[in-house]
Amino acid sequence: MMRFVHLIVVAALVAAAVYVYKIKFESAVQAERLAKLATEIKREREAIAALRAEWAQLENPARIQALAQRHLTLKMFDPTQIEQLDRLPERPPTPAAASSDAIATIIDGLEPEFPTGATAGPLPTTPRVAR
Amino acid sequence: MRWRPDAATPAPGWHRRMIQSLLYGRSVDRARKAQARLGLALIGFALVYAIIAIRLVLYAATADAHMVRRGGSSDAVATARPDVIDRNGEILATDIKTPSLFAEPRRIIDPDEATELLAGVLPDLDSREVRDRLGSKRGFAWLKRDITPVQQQEVHRLGIPGIGFLAENKRVYPNGNEFSHVVGHVNIDNQGIAGIEKWIDSRGLADLHRAGFGVDREQEPVRLGVDLRVQHALHDELVAARDKYKADAAAGIVLDVRTGEIVSMVSVPDYNPNNPREALEPNRINRLTTGVYEMGSTFKALTIAMALDSGKVTLNSSFDARGSLRYGHFNISDYHAQNRVLTVPEIFTYSSNVGAAKIALGQGVENHKAFLNKVGQLDRLRTELPESAEPIVPKHWGELNTVTIAFGHGLSVAPLQSVMGVAAIVNGGYLIPPTFLKRSQAEARAIAKRVVKPETSAAMRYLMRLNAEKGTATKADVKGFYVGGKTGTAEKVINGHYSKSRLMTDFMAVLPADEPRFLVLIMLDEPKPIAETHGFATSGWNAAPVTAKVITRIAPLLGLEPRFDLPSADHLILASMKETR
Repeated sequence: MMRFVHLIVVAALVAAAVYVYKIKFESAVQAERLAKLATEIKREREAIAALRAEWAQLENPARIQALAQRHLTLKMFDPTQIEQLDRLPERPPTPAAASSDAIATIIDGLEPEFPTGATAGPLPTTPRVAR
Repeated sequence: MRWRPDAATPAPGWHRRMIQSLLYGRSVDRARKAQARLGLALIGFALVYAIIAIRLVLYAATADAHMVRRGGSSDAVATARPDVIDRNGEILATDIKTPSLFAEPRRIIDPDEATELLAGVLPDLDSREVRDRLGSKRGFAWLKRDITPVQQQEVHRLGIPGIGFLAENKRVYPNGNEFSHVVGHVNIDNQGIAGIEKWIDSRGLADLHRAGFGVDREQEPVRLGVDLRVQHALHDELVAARDKYKADAAAGIVLDVRTGEIVSMVSVPDYNPNNPREALEPNRINRLTTGVYEMGSTFKALTIAMALDSGKVTLNSSFDARGSLRYGHFNISDYHAQNRVLTVPEIFTYSSNVGAAKIALGQGVENHKAFLNKVGQLDRLRTELPESAEPIVPKHWGELNTVTIAFGHGLSVAPLQSVMGVAAIVNGGYLIPPTFLKRSQAEARAIAKRVVKPETSAAMRYLMRLNAEKGTATKADVKGFYVGGKTGTAEKVINGHYSKSRLMTDFMAVLPADEPRFLVLIMLDEPKPIAETHGFATSGWNAAPVTAKVITRIAPLLGLEPRFDLPSADHLILASMKETR
């Protein structure tokens, strides 16, 4: 009886030792991973900080203003250019014919310049705004 | 088989029984006693093992913290500082990591060779100094702080033993000059030495760092009340104005009159905080907090507010402004002399010195002094910025002082201080100490102090608006924003005498005048007359148009809507005052 109990206890001891070793090993692996991730997070944070600093430098208003003045033809706006939405005038009614017969409207538009029957040659091309 | 120490044991021999009775006494049951002892021993051992187990668990739980501390020791010598951001979250100052080069001279094998190799990669290094440092017997020496990653790579490739790198925090200011006087700057060890940076340190960051903490980035950013876009617009216009009028300096403040937040503050010439050596030049000081000036006619706003608030003077009162006022050997005359009896609004819009002096004399010297003290013009104004200047108050304040101070001469205050005073008389009568941090209206109301009556404040708003409609401030009237304002021109004291040609001009604008949100102060130090101003150099010709330009740019940024159908001041502000009475 006692021998049997001893055997069980010894077996349990060995099993416990193996189990503890396994846990210990796993925890060491996890701890290493944790440390690695922490370093990575730190590095990423530093990279983010550097990028944010660079971004702030790039979107600095003085820099953008200098670029805009050099490359764009925009001007400083005037307060009269601001208007409240509810004070805008009604949108002018769209001409009904525009959608129904496109060719007819073109002809209507051209009429004063090119009286019907007078055009023999090809139509002069309308000047296009250079882009 | 279990050991049972009772009846089952064979009776011991007579000599043992005798020893037993001698040791324990005859009546003691020795077997039970042994059992009790065994139990005690068991408890003792169990306790010891329990303590060991608990300690083990504790070690396992806290092991992480130890590891992190150890891992962090290889970098971060310079303090990590919290970011500084503006009211919309834009970055004004932040930390980035840069490598720094150091040496352990004791481990250097051949200092001469090492010096030569390093000089090849880093040509701007002083080789004699490096040779001295490497030749010393010290354990640690900096060679060069803040090198580029490319340089780091090259030095690394040299493979010199005893040379290493530390990653350090370096403060960068992405907006350069624009915020120099607000944010301030740091020294090479990332400690704040000016502006908000110094204030951050004084709040306990320095102590934190001394205790060995504060090296990580996990710090709450410091949110200021300033606005990057407004600051840029103000800076841009002031630089242009300084060029245009060939002024020594130009400065401007935008203050939220309801909260006391400083939305923008610029003083040019300024410096680049990324290169703090520039800050040492005396011309680059912040004129708004560290300089004190005689503010000129803008002080008349305070004089008239005092008179109206006393109840002895109303908007319909009139004062004799004929000729000039002789006082001892001083002769006080008007710039826009009318030579007739003027009403209070006329005194304000013609900016009559004689009229303002007579108003102040009517109140008496003591009342004048008490009122200026109440609106904070006589004490040093302290904000978050460590730099502040004490106003220069006359030691013996007599009637002559009251006469001159009535129109802004003879009392020098920091411009920020006068902005605070004027804000109090236009915002309904509340004196709110200005701040660079974000502050809500409720917080402002809690610390506000009533200094004038609401009616006085409304009357002052009327006068300011009237001045922009038909007074000296017409050039600052931006259509749509209902600007009110007061010009101020002070003659500078040169060798103890007021100079007629060297002027300090300023302009105080309130917008919108019917319901003030912001106060704008523009100051020009010694503007020169130019062709466009027809040879004038007074405030109405330079500070006022600059203010108009600034307002045109910043008002939409501040969320003010232009309104073009507002009636004149007589109808809008004056009429509403009569209704409330």
